[in-house]
Amino acid sequence: MKRTSEESQSRLPDNSALKQQQLPAYRLQLTATGVLSGFFATGVFCLGVGIILILSAKSIKEIEIKYTKICGNCAKLRENATNFDKECTCSIPFYLSETMQGNVYMYYKLYGFYQNLYRYILSRSNSQLVGTDLKDVGTCAPFSKSHDGTPIAPCGAIANSIFNDTIILSYNLNSSLPIEVPMLRSGITWWTDKYVKFQNPRSKNLSIAFAGTTKPPSWAKPVYELDKEDPENNGFLNDDFIVWMRAAAFPTFKKLYRRLNRIQYFTEGLPAGLAYTVTGAVTWLASFSMMAIHLMLKDRKMFFIQQ
Amino acid sequence: MKYIKCFISEIPWNHSWYYSAMSLVESQSEDRQSEEQVRYLQANSRELNSTFGYPNNTIKTSRYSVFNFLPLNLFEQFQRLANAYFLILLFLQLIPQISPLAWYTTVIPLMVVLSITAVKDAIDDVKRHQNDNHVNNRSVLVVMNGRIKEDKWMNIQVGDIIKLKNNQPVTADVLLLSSSEPYGLTYIETAELDGETNLKVKQSISVTSNLEDNLGLLSAFDGKVRCESPNNKLDKFTGILTFKGKNYTLDHDKLLLRGCIIRNTDWCYGLVIYTGPDTKLMQNCGKSTFKRTHMDHLLNVLVLWIFLFLGGMCFILAIGHGIWENKKGYYFQDFLPWEEYVSSSVVSAILTFWSYFIILNTMVPISLYVSVEIIRLGNSCYINWDRKMYYAPKNTPAQARTTTLNEELGQVKYVFSDKTGTLTQNIMIFNKCSINGIIYGCGYDKNGQKVEVSEETEKVDFSYNKLADPKFSFYDNTLVEAMKKGDHWVHLFFLSLSLCHTVMSEEKVEGKLVYQAQSPDEGALVTAARNFGFVFHSRTSETIMVVEMGETKVYQLLAILDFSNVRKRMSVIVRTPEDRVMLFCKGADTILCQLLHPSCRSLRDVTMEHLDDFAFEGLRTLMVAYREVDNAFYQAWSKKHSEACLSLENREDKMSDVYGEMEKDLMLLGATAIEDKLQDGVPETITILNKAKIKIWVLTGDKQETAVNIAYACNIFEEEMDGIFIVEGKNDETVRQELRLARNKMKPESLLESDPVNTYLNTKPQMPFRIPEEVPNGNYGLIINGYSLAYALEGNLELELLRTVCMCKGVICCRMTPLQKAQVVELMKRYKKVVTLAIGDGANDVSMIKAAHIGVGITGQEGMQAMLNSDYAISQFRYLQRLLLVHGRWSYNRMCKFLSYFFYKNFAFTLMHFWYAFFSGFSAQTVYDTWFITFYNLVYTSLPVLSLSLFDQDVNETWSLRFPELYGPGQHNLYFNKKEFVKCLVRGIYSSFVLFFIPMRTIHNSIDSDGKEISDYQSFSLIVQTALLCVVTVQIALDTTYWTLISHIFTWGSLGFYFCILFLLYSDGLCLMFPNVFQFLGVARNTLNLPQMWLIIILSVVLCILPVIGYRFLKPLFWPADVDKIMNRIHLWTRHPLLPPTQTKLRHTRPRRSAYAFSHKQGFGALITSGKTMKDQVFKKNSFPFKK
Repeated sequence: MKRTSEESQSRLPDNSALKQQQLPAYRLQLTATGVLSGFFATGVFCLGVGIILILSAKSIKEIEIKYTKICGNCAKLRENATNFDKECTCSIPFYLSETMQGNVYMYYKLYGFYQNLYRYILSRSNSQLVGTDLKDVGTCAPFSKSHDGTPIAPCGAIANSIFNDTIILSYNLNSSLPIEVPMLRSGITWWTDKYVKFQNPRSKNLSIAFAGTTKPPSWAKPVYELDKEDPENNGFLNDDFIVWMRAAAFPTFKKLYRRLNRIQYFTEGLPAGLAYTVTGAVTWLASFSMMAIHLMLKDRKMFFIQQ
Repeated sequence: MKYIKCFISEIPWNHSWYYSAMSLVESQSEDRQSEEQVRYLQANSRELNSTFGYPNNTIKTSRYSVFNFLPLNLFEQFQRLANAYFLILLFLQLIPQISPLAWYTTVIPLMVVLSITAVKDAIDDVKRHQNDNHVNNRSVLVVMNGRIKEDKWMNIQVGDIIKLKNNQPVTADVLLLSSSEPYGLTYIETAELDGETNLKVKQSISVTSNLEDNLGLLSAFDGKVRCESPNNKLDKFTGILTFKGKNYTLDHDKLLLRGCIIRNTDWCYGLVIYTGPDTKLMQNCGKSTFKRTHMDHLLNVLVLWIFLFLGGMCFILAIGHGIWENKKGYYFQDFLPWEEYVSSSVVSAILTFWSYFIILNTMVPISLYVSVEIIRLGNSCYINWDRKMYYAPKNTPAQARTTTLNEELGQVKYVFSDKTGTLTQNIMIFNKCSINGIIYGCGYDKNGQKVEVSEETEKVDFSYNKLADPKFSFYDNTLVEAMKKGDHWVHLFFLSLSLCHTVMSEEKVEGKLVYQAQSPDEGALVTAARNFGFVFHSRTSETIMVVEMGETKVYQLLAILDFSNVRKRMSVIVRTPEDRVMLFCKGADTILCQLLHPSCRSLRDVTMEHLDDFAFEGLRTLMVAYREVDNAFYQAWSKKHSEACLSLENREDKMSDVYGEMEKDLMLLGATAIEDKLQDGVPETITILNKAKIKIWVLTGDKQETAVNIAYACNIFEEEMDGIFIVEGKNDETVRQELRLARNKMKPESLLESDPVNTYLNTKPQMPFRIPEEVPNGNYGLIINGYSLAYALEGNLELELLRTVCMCKGVICCRMTPLQKAQVVELMKRYKKVVTLAIGDGANDVSMIKAAHIGVGITGQEGMQAMLNSDYAISQFRYLQRLLLVHGRWSYNRMCKFLSYFFYKNFAFTLMHFWYAFFSGFSAQTVYDTWFITFYNLVYTSLPVLSLSLFDQDVNETWSLRFPELYGPGQHNLYFNKKEFVKCLVRGIYSSFVLFFIPMRTIHNSIDSDGKEISDYQSFSLIVQTALLCVVTVQIALDTTYWTLISHIFTWGSLGFYFCILFLLYSDGLCLMFPNVFQFLGVARNTLNLPQMWLIIILSVVLCILPVIGYRFLKPLFWPADVDKIMNRIHLWTRHPLLPPTQTKLRHTRPRRSAYAFSHKQGFGALITSGKTMKDQVFKKNSFPFKK
């Protein structure tokens, strides 16, 4: 019925490799030699990498000092939320048996703090933090506005729960006079965070720029007074703030706090001897750890023995 | 409403336009039928007829118009389970309290999936529109106000009078009014309706045939017709024509149906009764059911499993959440107070359940269905494109009409084949004959060696005979020599062939005769006689004109003793020009032997021997005999004959008694052997399919003899079989006994009570249950007759039949009605978990083509109906091996690989959230960036898996055909079943475990070289998702055995593309523009620098892939399957040249069997003697002086 003038045309399908399923191809076959040599090669490779990693990991020194219990009185004080701005200090002496050579970094480490809760991780406003729209607090629930409706800057649960202990490392140079170890608070953030993702609102004076907003409820000071020593380190550009805002993936995490400034006695690193840390406040289970690094890689081992 | 219901119950990925089109037609006509009980119409009165609101002759198979496409298509798509699921998911996601994922994670994939399907639907529909337009815009001649006007088909209305010409298709269902032939006869071919190629005669009632082609009378004709409402019964029509105050009854003999083609009739006029959707052709198409593959069923089951698994996981996580909130979350409220609506940890847990339900939704992969569709479409295209399935003589390539069944082609266990036109060409060739004890037709060369007939063999020269048919070929010169010598017996033999038949002849051009044979056998015999010099020239109701070796002779036709299936013979009685009364008879050897005169016993024995030879070669034989009748005896007999003709009671019996009186003491002339020409390559194909453990059954409407003949010829039955059972009982008990007897021989223990199958059946298992496979003790064949089958198909014999029949190697079912063919297929489908394939070419095969899992239509001589209802259309039976063993096998393997991989990659992807829940307070925090979730299935992993499932070939086509055993795993569905699915699940769990915990432990305590910690959430996400993507990419690289350039581009390109997208999504510009949507600013830059990340990736890949390689490598070593052994051989032989396949020709021991077969129908003798079929011209041209 549908045969019309087209009939004269041949309906022979094209003779192309694709249509005839004749595309030139390499056939992958699992041959004994291939599989076994693959296994051996992988085994040797993993073994080599493992050995390198173990060796490099051995050259890393790490000291972890828990101060939750030692600073128990501060923790107790903080249990009453109204005391959040009262100062409390405690000091923990520890002994460094060997010199930590090279760069030394100081971290704080929290156990069981869930920065990765779904609602917690969302509770921030990137458009606020980038400085374009301070009033944009839509995604910050439940810390978006204060009781009187003023938008909070920085808003959200992450910002509100910032780690605000102050940790000072002192060193007993001559077993009598402790000197404060010089620490750098810069260079502890990602470049992209510091220079792209976090921006203060454009204004000459930060306090004016943040006018019309209020500080997060748990904060003692507004965001533009975070660092009295360095005016550049204020507002959203405060390094500690930026580090905190990069939420951790797991409930136990550590974050970079300070770097050793390698001057004077400390050009080689942190020398052996007695050191104190002085912390300002304790709010929850916490500890800090120190780690010296030349090259830091997680050790891993793989052994494949194939008959 | 029915149509909507159908759709809901149908599977989602339904694209059979035929089905949907027909359901529309059905719904339309059903609505009206409820009102229309009787149809009234008046000829030439459009005003009156329009009041009844009949549809015009437009056919609409399209589903959409430009305006309703979007809403209707979306409505249909959302009726699919998967789409509906994702729609619900979308709504869940819009509830902010429970949605942990952004709305676009579902919307984007859903949109893509919907639009791909919509585009496909739209393209299909455009094609349908084009088809409709083509048909609707054909032109036809309409009688209007005394003139003939050309109009389009779609404008034809009920009550119009139209003119149809020779070889034109009929426009609508029309009542025949008049025609160019005498008595208002019209010949039609109904191939498209019922598949029968022989011509059928329709006759108008006399009052209208008088109108002839007088346009004035025709346009003044105002007959009123009252008839039944439209229905789908092709052979039923009742109505009353009222014309000039008189009533005339109408029946289906007067109705020309749409779809028929006018033949041998110059013109005819008809009154349009049914139009468009009301025509019987369209009404008949509605029963199409939609087919789903076993894989679809399996997928549905698996999706259900996944749902349960998903629910279980969500439940566990919700409980975990409740406990966590109680123990820790409660105290964590200083930092993150609960929402106001969360009053306790229980409420929170309930909300979390739904949150996880949303997060883990990727367990049910949204792109699974659309990918499956694309793969099937691609594999269907390969079938359409295959040059090796293109049949040049008919200019037809193979055609995959359904794109949803491909992988099932790789799983076929039973093939149900029609005979005529499928195994055979339906061409009969006069091949050999035995005349007076001498065999002719076996060509011998000079040395007396038998010559195999081939293209080069020299044909017999028929140039001495001007009236010879040039297409006829014969290879034995001795017969022609005998003919030229004037051998009496040879002459008499061919004279009898040229007289004893019911063929009609037509001499369109001088000297060129065209025979219209009612059965092809007769056509072959008469043509043979014609070529050898006894040319049947023409006939009237009383005479037959034969040109005997150039000399015209006229025989008076005294009587035709018609053929019937009981008599198995036919005879003519003629008066020769020499005034002798002769009877010529041809028929079955078994019958004729008993009627022979005792004097020709010795000749009979010789002839019987020859008949055995013929039978062995698979030829169809007839015996030919004659008798000279005494004039007085004839006169007396003639009287009895006419009395019997006129008797009202027991006419049949009386007639056969009378016939019996005449047909006795016959003198044997010889026997004919006709070759029912097989299609090319049929025996070879069947042998190969048998090797692939595919069982082939022949279901034919033909007679037992013909069917058995063909079964032997094409290797379904072999001469050395251990036994062949014939079931022909005419009541339950005999059929049961016959079946049991057969089973007793094949597997005696299966009749014992202790047989496992019996004990199983005795437990009366719940439907649906499956009968396990049983192994007989040899090769057996079984023949069952239609009427026995009717009993066997009844309730309690069903299982008996099935068990017996399934043990046989070859089964022939003959004398089957179309319905029975379908019943057999249904029976198989019900009790056996196997894939069935039905192949046929005629309309009588349509029911079984529709019933079987896969219907294959042969685009052949017998019209289009089978093809239109089939899922695959091929033009030669031999292409079946390629369709199954190459395309089917590849499709199946590809689909299985695809599914295993697809489930695996989604499990690995999704289960990561599960592990993360234990470290994130069960707070429904996702592991990945939302954009990764959005793109994972759709962009990052879709192309490699597509290339795998479109290009992969485990072995090439030559090997697939060389080792049909490779087909086995498909039949038992070894490559993807529930077990394999569980393996995927386990692998997925393992991979996700590795992929989660290795990065977790790595970043836990490690820092960058400048002291910055890397344990932040965003870095972790990036590391995990990159590692995941690398693992699944390497995994698919391992699954791919056939690496084309495209595979390389797709596989490695996708991975590269991922990194490109990564930098785009995490770029400063985009993140600053939408800081709250794109939050991962700078993560790519910082994290991809980390050596940890790359070591994580290497370690994860190694840990995930090594066990898989190990398993794949060791499994064939320790637990080799049959296929593995063959594969091994193939791999070994790939480097060595192929040995030609050895063909072993077996010498047969032959049992005696009759090869009588004759595809003739009763009733044509009477039509000839009544003279109705004779044309006026014949009388005018050949008016002979001797007329009585």
